[in-house]
Amino acid sequence: MRRIDRRNLLHFGAALPLALHSLANRSEARSNSIKAPKRIIFICNSLGFYRPNFFPTERGNLESSKYLSGLANREKLTVFQNLFHPGMETSNHDSEKSYLTGAAKPEAPNFANTISVDQILAKHIGGDTRFPFLSFSIYDRGWGCSWNDQGVAIPPMHDTNQIFNKLFGEEDLSAKRRQIRNDQKIVDCLHHDMRRLEDHGTREAKAKIATYRKVIGELEKRLAHEAFWLKTQKPNIPNTLSRDSEFAFSTKVSNLLQLAKLAFQTDSTRIITLSLDWIYGAIQVPGATGGWHTLSHHGGRPEVIDKLTRIEMDIIKHLNQFLITLAETPDGNGTLLDHTTVVVGSNFGDSSNHTCNNLPTFVAGGGMRHHAHRVLDKPTPLCNLWLDLLQCHDVDIGKFGSSDENSKLFPV
Amino acid sequence: MRFLSLALSLYFLCWGTWAQPYPHAAQTNELFTKYCLGCHEGPDAEGNLDLSELLAREQFDNTLIFENVATEKMPPAEADAPAPAEREKILKWLANQQPASIPRPFRRISRYEFVHSINDLLGTELDLAFGIPEDRGTNTFDSNRRIQLSPDMLGSYFAVADEMLEHALPQMGFVKEQTWVTDKLLDSHETYNIYVKDYKEGTLFSWTRANNGNSYSFFYDNFNPPAAGWYELTFESAKVGDLNGDASLQVHAGKYYYADDRPQPQRLLDVISLGSDELESQTIRAFLRPGENVSVHCFHKDNFREKAPKRGVYIRRLTARGPLQDTWPPRRYKSLFGDLPLSIKPQNAAQVSSETETNASSTQALRYRSNLEKIGGSISVSSFQPGMEKENMLDGSNRTFWHTRFEPTLAKPPHFIVIKNPNRFEITGLSYATWTGGNGNGQVEKFEVYTSENGVEWGTPICTGELETRLANEQPISFPEPIAARFIKLVATESFSLDGRSLASIGKLDVIASIDVNLTKKLVAIESRNSEDLRQVVKRFAERAFSSNLTVSELQPYFDVAERVFQRDGDFIEAAKAGFKAVMCSHRFLLAPGEHSSRELAKKAALIRILWLSVPDEQLIASDLSLRGQIELALADERSNRMVRSLCEQWLNLRAWKTIAPSLKLYPLYDDLLEHYLPLETTAYLAYLIRENRPVGELIDSDYSFLNQRLADHYGIEGIVGQHLRRVQFEMDTPRGGLLTMGSVMKVTTDGFQTSPILRGAWISKNILGTPLSPPPDSVQAIEPEMSAGSTSVREQIELPQESQTCNACHKSIDPYGFALENYDATGRWRNNYQQKLPHKNTFKYRPRGYFRLAGEVDSAGVVGDQEFADIHGLKRLLLTNDRKVAYNFAKKFFEYANGYEPSLTQRIGLLEMTSGECRMRDIVINVLEHSLENLAGRGR
Repeated sequence: MRRIDRRNLLHFGAALPLALHSLANRSEARSNSIKAPKRIIFICNSLGFYRPNFFPTERGNLESSKYLSGLANREKLTVFQNLFHPGMETSNHDSEKSYLTGAAKPEAPNFANTISVDQILAKHIGGDTRFPFLSFSIYDRGWGCSWNDQGVAIPPMHDTNQIFNKLFGEEDLSAKRRQIRNDQKIVDCLHHDMRRLEDHGTREAKAKIATYRKVIGELEKRLAHEAFWLKTQKPNIPNTLSRDSEFAFSTKVSNLLQLAKLAFQTDSTRIITLSLDWIYGAIQVPGATGGWHTLSHHGGRPEVIDKLTRIEMDIIKHLNQFLITLAETPDGNGTLLDHTTVVVGSNFGDSSNHTCNNLPTFVAGGGMRHHAHRVLDKPTPLCNLWLDLLQCHDVDIGKFGSSDENSKLFPV
Repeated sequence: MRFLSLALSLYFLCWGTWAQPYPHAAQTNELFTKYCLGCHEGPDAEGNLDLSELLAREQFDNTLIFENVATEKMPPAEADAPAPAEREKILKWLANQQPASIPRPFRRISRYEFVHSINDLLGTELDLAFGIPEDRGTNTFDSNRRIQLSPDMLGSYFAVADEMLEHALPQMGFVKEQTWVTDKLLDSHETYNIYVKDYKEGTLFSWTRANNGNSYSFFYDNFNPPAAGWYELTFESAKVGDLNGDASLQVHAGKYYYADDRPQPQRLLDVISLGSDELESQTIRAFLRPGENVSVHCFHKDNFREKAPKRGVYIRRLTARGPLQDTWPPRRYKSLFGDLPLSIKPQNAAQVSSETETNASSTQALRYRSNLEKIGGSISVSSFQPGMEKENMLDGSNRTFWHTRFEPTLAKPPHFIVIKNPNRFEITGLSYATWTGGNGNGQVEKFEVYTSENGVEWGTPICTGELETRLANEQPISFPEPIAARFIKLVATESFSLDGRSLASIGKLDVIASIDVNLTKKLVAIESRNSEDLRQVVKRFAERAFSSNLTVSELQPYFDVAERVFQRDGDFIEAAKAGFKAVMCSHRFLLAPGEHSSRELAKKAALIRILWLSVPDEQLIASDLSLRGQIELALADERSNRMVRSLCEQWLNLRAWKTIAPSLKLYPLYDDLLEHYLPLETTAYLAYLIRENRPVGELIDSDYSFLNQRLADHYGIEGIVGQHLRRVQFEMDTPRGGLLTMGSVMKVTTDGFQTSPILRGAWISKNILGTPLSPPPDSVQAIEPEMSAGSTSVREQIELPQESQTCNACHKSIDPYGFALENYDATGRWRNNYQQKLPHKNTFKYRPRGYFRLAGEVDSAGVVGDQEFADIHGLKRLLLTNDRKVAYNFAKKFFEYANGYEPSLTQRIGLLEMTSGECRMRDIVINVLEHSLENLAGRGR
């Protein structure tokens, strides 16, 4: 892929600043900064996890799960059983779009998505960091887990070196400043043009302007946020991303998780989504090669499940490594893991059958009181968990997506 | 197809909000009772569809029923079919029942439309759409009106607008065109060096692929594009030895790798076809960026990995010229700034170059081999062995080297090099490379750097450090701060030595200095200080970009932004650029349709967006042809190929092309050439069908396609020599022709490993026949075929679900198409047997015979409805009996592509009538366009 050589501030696929309003609160936030900030990462494994390997076979005992028994820090982990998204008990791959939004019937032709939970967090608590949020994916598909308040996909970043440079690379600041000043002038010009049309335009023109004004308003906030952060030096971090090209998929997953950890550690952002998206085509992990999607339709055949398990085990291995590094990194009066909620799950309960009930989900770290294995009595909307996690981050919006009641999944 | 009866026009006129007259409900109910309710009634209705309950409702989404009736899927073959008039009645009634859904009246323009438009406006050729994130989501077409403009996309558009403006009208001036020649290769991995050899005045290559299967390409040395831009690369080359047909020279660009026998894929720029043993010059054009190297890979299927080759491709030398401008000064200055006088000033020229000529398109070979030469520097060394002089460090090759004296007497340490910098250029470091290919004697391990003003007193080292041995890549030695001293000394304090003697050797050495001071640039400026001139420039640009005549009040915001920059910087062109950028980022440009001063202009803008993905040019704006005439004019222009490419990428899903990599174990012969040419075959074919107005049935089958030597070989067709695509006539029984059997389609309908009749069947149903597909019911265990050792045939696995009624209901009409295509492997090659993958020992190592053995025979027979077919020929015949369905589907897809939404049922009735006679591709395109544009809700002020 061709790299855009950019002198300017707006990088592609960038998940850029949002919240200007919090600039005013910044000094306040700084004075409280002795207390470590809360962070969160949502990881969606878009082809699910083979459930017999994922869930504990013996209630309450994580040792009885093939995947989870190998995880370190099991005492800081809760696996949830019986979560689902109402309105997509069965679905196709479109269910991935609704993973963090809970919007029903994503496969319908007139489907319109809604805001994703990470974006709500970004609006409330994202303004204090250089990047209000970051959104990653494996491939360049243009959409991942994050959706803005218009239900429009926020293109995730997928090139790990580009992400690294965005987080820690040097920039030509004077050029950037000039660029921002110029862009602000352009935005002013466009506002003038819109005002004129608002007075004289047709009804359709007015509808267009309403749309455009919203989009450009966002861009303006980003410009202001960027301008603010230009005054602060980026953290100086050596690039230690792996370049193993034999297991490209594996390398990608592990590098993305490493970048997530670095972003948290340097307080570059507090909110990350990671879409472990798939494409047709084969991937290679130690011990297995095959089309991930093809293998996910295992139809119960043992030799196929064996290969799929190797792919999933490889992902679990990297997740485990991620949890271990977080737990090893001191942060405030604890470790990074204590202050980072790690959410791992999928939009598919069983991708072989394309069903979306009993979504494999676990939450680790974050300083919550964990209870190993929580089997919910009845199918419970996944949005209840999202709402709960919002509250854990001091964001109270009452209801989110299909959440039905404030059934506390985590006692605060 | 010119009939377009009054009735039809009426339908199209009704595309607005009018209700149309429709058959009386009672009559229609009768028809439903007669033909449908027999199966579709009550709680046990077929397919869970209780029509009587549905029909009782006021409104329901009846698209599926409509399509099934329209495409004659329903009633099924074994039941009574309604007469055409009856069918029409049902359809009209259904259309009328469709809940009114008005598509959004506007959409964002796609990244391709954005980049093409700006290229056409600025007269540039930049392919930047790649850098903008994909926002199509799961919609079929980029133009879908549901896709909204997001802040991220707007941010990208701001950024791309800057990059394109800067490229078109660079603030710091244009890098002067240069021409340089190279015949030296950079060193490559020792595993592959044996497949090339010095030959005559250049190099002879045999075909080799790396152990990971990538094209192993050899890099040219002394090749560094001075600026991003277009270059001409001229190869003097010939085919050597008795090789059938042409040999191919693949030219790639990418990052140089060494010491890596698993090289990363390079970007294929173009292919040169060589049929003669006489040297000939062939030139390709390529867009290159600084830091990119050019590499070559030679292909002929008969000389894989011939050591010290005697046949293959001989390249004498490569001549590069660029960055190219169309004329000097570039034509765009005239089209953007009109007759305003230009002033052209050389920049920095006094510092480096003494030449005074102002013609940038000089073809004189003028190129420094090293930075040292550019800064007017020179070197001296502590000692040298005859034949290994200091010049060898500066010749741009790490295969020739400088070595301290070892015969007849051994030079004593210290071993050093002194760099003289008489012009006191600022030097930030040194670039060092070992000499390669030998025993490693003398490779520097530790060094010290000193500076001096007189070449006598050196003081203490300014830096010390260690260097890697056995590494061919250049290793930078960075100074702690830039040095402008007249003398710099590099001392080798420790070196590798096989026998302990004190030696030093260096393959390449150069200074690192800021590139800008070394490039002659030419600044193009406009002297005008008149803001009225600026206004005229902004006005002309905005009127073209918006396809509208603009009033002063409309233009005022754009004038303002340009004038503010003008007042601040006093730079006319920079001020105009600010105005241009505001235009490119405005809602009038990014949200289509824009506001136009007349309906005529609105139509022209819409037409050109659909066919050229751009804005109308002056000729079209001025044209007073009828709408049909304009459509024909635009279609005849080669820019309409952008539309064809879009259709291939989106309708036929070739955008997934690069994401599917065929397994090298099963399909070892799949290579870069196929990856490059297979989609081109499809584009060329579709473009031909439209341009020549071929019958729609040729989407399914024909006796020709567009092939070159590589594709013909892939398809098993003999006698095609050379790599240019040309129309090739097939023999009677050749199992090719039409889209279905093209390698491109065969590849995107697999995961690169096994073929899947389900995926292929679904592709045909969805894209060619337009049969609606429903997702599998919840109770079904889905499977996809996986051929591994010991498993049964794909067909058996798939036919399993056919035993179950639930699956069979749908799969009986999907999978059979796929069965007929089982003779084509995941790359589209013909096969009679399946391949079964075999394990390989240790790390995978590419070999042309792959790792598989032949398994069961392919059975390509199937049944659709009550008709049987034995193979692909049978299937094609069967599909051709219903080419009206194919025409209707193509009209529907093209409508969706053009309008950004799926046609309503009323519109579909129009499309059905449009495709009721003999159907030809260009007619459909023109008719759909004509009717879409006639009804365009474009308004004047």
